[in-house]
Amino acid sequence: MFVISCPYCGEREQSEFKAGGEAHIERPKQPTELSDDEWAEYLFMRKNIKGIQYERWNHAHGCRKWFNMVRDTSNDEIKAVYKMGEKPPSV
Amino acid sequence: MLNFQTAINDQKNFSEIKLNEISPIRKLILRGKSREFLSAVGKTINILLPTEPNTSSSNGEITIIWLSPDEWIIFSNSIDNQDFNQIEEKLVQNICKTKLGAVIDVTDQFVMINLTGNKIFDLFQKGSPFNFNEFRNKKGATTQTLLAKIDVIIQNKDQNDINVFVRRSFSRHLYSWMSDSASRL
Ligand SMILES: [Zn+2]
Repeated sequence: MFVISCPYCGEREQSEFKAGGEAHIERPKQPTELSDDEWAEYLFMRKNIKGIQYERWNHAHGCRKWFNMVRDTSNDEIKAVYKMGEKPPSV
Repeated sequence: MLNFQTAINDQKNFSEIKLNEISPIRKLILRGKSREFLSAVGKTINILLPTEPNTSSSNGEITIIWLSPDEWIIFSNSIDNQDFNQIEEKLVQNICKTKLGAVIDVTDQFVMINLTGNKIFDLFQKGSPFNFNEFRNKKGATTQTLLAKIDVIIQNKDQNDINVFVRRSFSRHLYSWMSDSASRL
C-alpha cells in the first residue's frame, strides 16, 4: 500500500486509484498504412521493466481524472506526478 | 419528477452517533470547463462554483460541492424545495441551451445520509482509506472516497454534522454497514 498524490485532489491512498498501463503511447496517424506487425506492436506491446517507468493512472474513486506518474517499479517509489498533456519530466 | 419514496426509510440513534436519510433533496450535477461556463453559472445562481479542490460553498438555499476540475454537485439545503425548479430551469436555459456545459438531475440517483454525533470519524475510520485529520476540523471540506468499498461523497457540514452522498443502489447496503459499525463504537 502506498500514497499517491493526485494532481487534483492531493494525497490519497492507493486503493482509490486504478493503474492504466504505460503512458505516452501515441496512436498511429494512419493505421491503414501499417503492417499487422506494426499494428500489433502499437496495440499490445508494453514495457515491463525493472526501474523507472512512465505510467497512466486514474483516480477512480475520487475525481475520476486520468494523470501520469513516473514510478520506480523495483521499490514503488513515485518520482513524479503530472497532468495529462503535460511534458513528461526527466527523472 | 421527484421520487418521494425514500431509499432507506430508517433512522438510527446510537448514544454517540445518529444516522438519518434526508429526503427528498433535489440534486444536480454540473459539468463544464470554460471560463464562460464558470461565469454563466455564477450569474445564474448567484454563487460562484468552488474551484479549490475538496471544498464546498453554500448560500441560504443551495450548496455546491467540488467533485473534479470540471464537475460539481449542487443540492438544495431544504427538503422539498420548490424554488429549486427555477434554479434547474435557469441553469438548463443558460448552460445547456447555450452549449456551455451539462446539467443533469441526479435527485433520484444520489441518496443523502446525514450523520451527527461525536463519533462520526471513528465510524469512517473503520471503512475508509481517507485521512480525515484535517477534514474533520474544516467546515465545508469535502471528499470523494471509499467507505466500506462503496464510492461516497462526504461533506463536512458543521462540527459533528456530516453529509454522505451515495448511489441509490448502494445506499441500503452502506446504511446497514454504518448502522452495524456505529452500534459497536
Ligand atoms: Zn483526484
